[in-house]
Amino acid sequence: MTAVVDSGSSRHRRRFNWRRWLLLLIGGGLVSIVLLCAIFAELIAPFSPYDLDVSNMLQGPSTGHWLGTDEVGRDELSRVIYAARISIEVALVAVGVGLLGGTIIGILAAYFGGWIDLILMRFMELLFSFPAILLAVILMASLGTSMLNAMIAIGIIFIPGFSRLARAATNDVLRQQYIDAARVIGMSDGRILTREILPNVVTPLLVEAAVAFAYAVLLESALSFLGLGAQPPEPSWGNMLSTGRGFMAQAPWLGIAPGMAMFLCVLGFNLVGDGLRDVFDPHLRD
Amino acid sequence: MLRLIAIRLAVFFPTLLAASIVLFVAINVVPGSAAKAALGIDATAQAIARFEHQHGLDRPLHEQYLDWVLRVFRGDLGKSFQNHVPVGPEVLKRLPVTLELATLAFLIANLIAVPLGALAAFYHQRRADTAITMMATVFGAIPNFWLATLLILVFALTLRWLPVGGFAPMVDNPILNLRQMVMPAVSLGIVSSALLLRIMRTSMLEVLSSDYIRTARAKGATRNIVIWRHAIRNALIPYLTVGAVEFGFLFGGVVIIEDIFLLPGIGSLVLVGIINRDYPVLLAAALVITVVVLTANMVVDIIAALLDPRLVRAKGAT
Amino acid sequence: MGNLRAHQCTDRPPTLAIDNLQVEIAMQRGLARVVDKVNIEVWPKEIVGVIGESGSGKTMTALSVLGLIPQRAQLSGEIRLSGQALTRLPEAAFRKLRGDRIAYIPQDALRALNPVLRVDMQVGEPFNIHRRTPWQEAKRRALGLLSAVHIPEPQRRAHEYPHQFSGGMQQRAMIAMGLALEPELLIADEPTTALDVTVQAQVLRLLREIRESHGTAILFITHDLGVISELCDWVYVMYAGSVLEQGPVETIFDNPAHPYTQMLLRATPTVGTVHEDLLSIPGTIPQPFELPAGCRFADRCPYRFAPCGREPPLLQANSGHEARCWLLVESPVSSAASIS
Repeated sequence: MTAVVDSGSSRHRRRFNWRRWLLLLIGGGLVSIVLLCAIFAELIAPFSPYDLDVSNMLQGPSTGHWLGTDEVGRDELSRVIYAARISIEVALVAVGVGLLGGTIIGILAAYFGGWIDLILMRFMELLFSFPAILLAVILMASLGTSMLNAMIAIGIIFIPGFSRLARAATNDVLRQQYIDAARVIGMSDGRILTREILPNVVTPLLVEAAVAFAYAVLLESALSFLGLGAQPPEPSWGNMLSTGRGFMAQAPWLGIAPGMAMFLCVLGFNLVGDGLRDVFDPHLRD
Repeated sequence: MLRLIAIRLAVFFPTLLAASIVLFVAINVVPGSAAKAALGIDATAQAIARFEHQHGLDRPLHEQYLDWVLRVFRGDLGKSFQNHVPVGPEVLKRLPVTLELATLAFLIANLIAVPLGALAAFYHQRRADTAITMMATVFGAIPNFWLATLLILVFALTLRWLPVGGFAPMVDNPILNLRQMVMPAVSLGIVSSALLLRIMRTSMLEVLSSDYIRTARAKGATRNIVIWRHAIRNALIPYLTVGAVEFGFLFGGVVIIEDIFLLPGIGSLVLVGIINRDYPVLLAAALVITVVVLTANMVVDIIAALLDPRLVRAKGAT
Repeated sequence: MGNLRAHQCTDRPPTLAIDNLQVEIAMQRGLARVVDKVNIEVWPKEIVGVIGESGSGKTMTALSVLGLIPQRAQLSGEIRLSGQALTRLPEAAFRKLRGDRIAYIPQDALRALNPVLRVDMQVGEPFNIHRRTPWQEAKRRALGLLSAVHIPEPQRRAHEYPHQFSGGMQQRAMIAMGLALEPELLIADEPTTALDVTVQAQVLRLLREIRESHGTAILFITHDLGVISELCDWVYVMYAGSVLEQGPVETIFDNPAHPYTQMLLRATPTVGTVHEDLLSIPGTIPQPFELPAGCRFADRCPYRFAPCGREPPLLQANSGHEARCWLLVESPVSSAASIS
């Protein structure tokens, strides 16, 4: 912590900034790869993710099938690539649901304050204290298993977090003088909310959205792993891992490949989230 | 001190009641789904009506809720749709398994997070900090069910050091019990340690920049004395308060981890409830998990308060 | 210096000798030179005051002596404790000096005491750290120290936590902690600022007692001229990281040579109480990353004249009294004449 003569100190600083930039680059690279796979799966994947080939079951990685084949002879690499599409779709909608719901609740709570604030935020706190997966699983049970329901269930989980952020950001904005000015010149509540407050709470929410995206990918995989998300033969990293587990002794690559894809995708979004936080919000930098 | 506990208890029960409403509503969002789920999609309208009447599902939702809550207070968690067995004893039988798993996992998570988070803060922006923070980023991105899969692949299938799964009670066979618990606890604990580590690091950074740490250093305290005597207790106070939330996340993980390692706990009961569309079972299991999580939050909050003489003494002074 | 200071010895080195100290901190806006070519001496049994506004570099000077400057800061120059060079001392060796041969009493005692540890443990800790004294014995010694600094009912109070102490008692506990191993040098960084006047007087009396009974040298940092006049033998006036004037306290109070010191004295309504907001000298202290090329006070100085564009050296004013001001060698009139 302290050295009497620390000539290396400025070097530490420079290396630290450089490292942060590198991490953002790695994160951005991983995210780009996942997004490209999701959008251009048809062009990138060497095989169809659905075509069975019983003569070619449980083949190890080879030049033809880089990640080997699964228990019914489908190309594992192609399925991993196609699965990115489902993960991204689910995460996109879920984060959208959370962002929309959370922003509305958070801004309303902060703007109107008093009882509305108290009741809304107490309820959000309550939702927050539930184990996320448990809540998702229960919602899936009552809504029924489908991709759309998975998206909604995951989205609901994100609402408390986003609403907290939106509320804090709105409170910050409300303390600024220009809001008083807007009231004085007779702007309506609705206009103040959409014209003055909304643009100012977007940045912290977007930073959070990147991290939530990573978490959504994890939750989708978890639900699919439990059989509550994407249904076979639709490829999802979660359900591929779940089936792959049954063949682990003969075909360990089926347990490794989809998990690795999940890990890299989550890592990528987390790194981007951390990087964005550094760029946009120097106060949160630790 | 007693007042502090009393206040926490006074918050605990309303929270639990509100949580039970959320659970009940979440399970019954779609009206009539219970019967359809239990009887299958091609059940006749007549059969559904009979089923609903039989289980009191045709009454208004608030009536059903009140009925359920009152029965729960009397210790009756309802009967399974599937086999009409009371759910309560089943839950009690499974609870120790889950508690053991969660406790071990939380222990592992903290044993990683507290010392490493403290060290990272002490060497803020130095190489050790960079390495530890990077490790936390990697740990935080590993899905716990994938880590579980990899552990099985390496330690059970390849090296054959540990059993693939199963559960022997602690009292019957403690060694086998621990051997079975290692992998589940590690896969839950390592992933949870990531967030806890970040919280510890932030909390420790705050403490290390305080005046009393400068006093300790001006006294000639060594690194270890500064961290373990002067900083850790102060850093643990905010760490525990935030960390209590992570216990909830960790508890969610037991659903999936118990399934992978064939542990007969509450988590796997949740899955049984879902697969069989057995709402009483699902509701009971979810309620028990909620009670455990809320209790853990409360206990950790009280421990955090106990660490702070300003709070403990506040009452004695007045 | 031609004349010896009252406490200066010929047979041994000063307790503290700061020689040409410079501290620079890399900041976003540039390299900040917070301490610049500072020379300070403290002799055994001497109480030396360092006075300056916030931002004058006085605390950074104190932290340099303790080896506790921030990691980003770079230090050059020489600091010697009773002849032993500190600047290039490895951290492990430096640590052994802190709390043993040099003690530090900070400004805000409540924040400087660990809120979760009992007072006797904190006060007795130096014995445990430096002498490996068992805790029981260390706490017993702490009890003695607490009564030496006049804490009432030390038996009972020793087991309490810092927040249960009054402000004056907290500061006295900090002093007790500093005294534990009878250090050669005590650095007190505005120890009385947070205290009310009567408690302040008690603390000052205590410091004088310590000097008499232990022969401790004290470096007393403050922005309060009243305290300086009451307590110190010698004073250094710091401004924007540099010493502007130094000399015996009486000389500087009776006959200040630097316009800054003169204005400080005039801004003090009565000797005894002055607070930073009373220093109503127009203008602000220059930022450490944009120091002027010439005299640092020139911007705010009413006597400013041509030579002030160059930085003045410390010039002889009276016996043992020096100031960094061109007025001591040139009069404004003659200089104006020389330009025209």
